[in-house]
Amino acid sequence: MSTPLIELQNVSRIYDLGHIQVAALQGVDLDVQEGEFLAIVGPSGSGKSTLMNIVGCLDRPTAGTYTLNGTPVAELDDDGLARLRSRTIGFVFQNYNLLPRTSALENVATPLLYQGVSRKDRLARAGAALERLGLGDRVNHVPTELSGGQQQRVAIARALVTEPALLLADEPTGNLDSSSGADVITLLHELNAAGRTIVMITHDVDVARVASRQVHVRDGRLIA
Amino acid sequence: MKAMELVRLALSRLGSSRLRAALTMLGVIIGVASVVSLVAVGQGATSGITKQLQGLGTNLLTVNPGATTTGFTRGAAGSASTLTIADAQAIGGLDGVAAVEPETSTSQFVVAGTQNTTTTIVGTTGAYTTVRNFNVWQGSTLNGAAVDATLNEAVLGATTADDLGLGASSIGSTIKIGGLPFRVVGILQAKGSTGPTSQDDQILVPYTTVEDHFVPGKTVRSIGISVASAGQIDTVKGEITTLLETRHGIAAGGTNDFTIADQSQLLTTVSSVSDLLTVLLAGIASISLLVGGIGIMNIMLVSVRERTREIGIRKAIGARGRDILAQFLVEALVLSLLGGLIGIAIGVGASYLIGQLAGWGFVFNPITPLVAVLFSLLVGIVFGVWPARQAARLDPIVALRYE
Ligand SMILES: Nc1ncnc2c1ncn2[C@@H]1O[C@H](COP(=O)(O)OP(=O)(O)OP(=O)(O)O)[C@@H](O)[C@H]1O
Ligand SMILES: [Mg+2]
Repeated sequence: MSTPLIELQNVSRIYDLGHIQVAALQGVDLDVQEGEFLAIVGPSGSGKSTLMNIVGCLDRPTAGTYTLNGTPVAELDDDGLARLRSRTIGFVFQNYNLLPRTSALENVATPLLYQGVSRKDRLARAGAALERLGLGDRVNHVPTELSGGQQQRVAIARALVTEPALLLADEPTGNLDSSSGADVITLLHELNAAGRTIVMITHDVDVARVASRQVHVRDGRLIA
Repeated sequence: MKAMELVRLALSRLGSSRLRAALTMLGVIIGVASVVSLVAVGQGATSGITKQLQGLGTNLLTVNPGATTTGFTRGAAGSASTLTIADAQAIGGLDGVAAVEPETSTSQFVVAGTQNTTTTIVGTTGAYTTVRNFNVWQGSTLNGAAVDATLNEAVLGATTADDLGLGASSIGSTIKIGGLPFRVVGILQAKGSTGPTSQDDQILVPYTTVEDHFVPGKTVRSIGISVASAGQIDTVKGEITTLLETRHGIAAGGTNDFTIADQSQLLTTVSSVSDLLTVLLAGIASISLLVGGIGIMNIMLVSVRERTREIGIRKAIGARGRDILAQFLVEALVLSLLGGLIGIAIGVGASYLIGQLAGWGFVFNPITPLVAVLFSLLVGIVFGVWPARQAARLDPIVALRYE
């Protein structure tokens, strides 16, 4: 078996609030192979988002080691983490997190700005990504002019525009009705079929079923 | 990230909150506009005063009588009557003296037709216009023959002529000075100086005539001397001092009964004073620029707070700390530079208007706007760095959770 894309060993994340310590993750071991579609399932407050932030290099574990694509993340400085995020990871956040007052096209083009892609190429690639998600007629709309499902698709287009090796999606269907939720799931399935590694977080067992593998989180621990 | 991208980002951001951007810039606009216009006012005033002083006569020396001393009490300068016509004639014979004119004076009631006025009558010679740098507008100046023959001839200052309703056609007409008839032979061009001691409000007549009809005696109020070249001023001053000391029987080291005023000395004093004034004005105006800079910092700090979530998103999708730093810094720079440019436009416009109103014309010094732009850029950097660093340092996780 080849080295996994994601390798978490005994990872913990403890929030120190001064008077109290909150253990959001405790001793998590997790491997994700390239091309996998993993669903992380668990109730609210179990530590799913915390896990995704660590996997996405937005946060660092307080204990344990995390190796992404062969790189031990602990050895990187903040700029190194930013570069890794920019090159290998695409995020779809729990609540879209689109840039406010910024058109769908500019939103999707922004990750490419930080890769140093020229403006012309950026806009062309962003336009193509939006087209692929069926938003070709909404490119100039700002987030407040889009429905929840459309915003979620813009967020997915933004995550995909850099062609990342790893797509992280936190509750991608959480705020959607069942039909547009199903559309998003179908889309993720297609992306995975095309070879992209996907880690999806959900509390919905039905949604988790489309994934090739599921892990369950409870109180900061993985349960088989 | 390229500078172009950063500027585009900043402009689109500022474009989406125009009112706030405009209000933020207002501080810098006012600061730069006041620096530019106040410096222009200072420089304009300096050149205006210098021109007026130069208009009094080039290479001009004025000899005035000294103070009378009664017992131990020394009177005001000019209170003694020690200078005479003969002194003036003797000075005329010195090397380096181009022209000399003695001046006696009296105040008289003047009538021309139905108009009348009271003005200063200066008893002098034709050299007065040369030494005091007057141009003759109509007719001619006093001539030597008139002085020798004690003729009742008069040359009018521009304001006096106006007051009496006299114009170009009045040359040769007769006016009454102190009840005596005088023939108008010339009218002088106005110098533009105003006030109670205006040089344009006076009448020149031969000093011999003044002596005969109004003020008997050979003493004069002052002697004006035009030195041939600027380089000779000090030498001529020395010669006059020696000459008058000899003529008045004053021992070397004694108290002179005359003073010599030097036009060029006055000029340097006045221009250094008004230069100092310009610097002072610019300094005061810079304070408002500083306040404008603090306004920018304030708004940028608020902006970083408001956009914490945006910063988190940008970091999550690949922005490094320095990308965020550059974005906020360039925003502050664009604000201050734009404000600076608008301020210059307003400042130049204002100094043009003031120059026209004050009458010294438009003095445009390209250095001032240049310095103002550099200064506003500096303001942008100094007051933009702190908020930008705050933004760059934000932890992405904290920023994303920020409400
Ligand atoms: N910044 C923080 N400071 C302190 N505690 C935190 C912080 N972030 C998360 N936690 C705690 O860590 C635990 C896990 O939070 P997390 O956001 O990972 O939950 P989740 O599984 O994503 O829940 P949900 O399904 O509601 O999104 C929670 O108990 C939460 O209170
Ligand atoms: Mg969550």
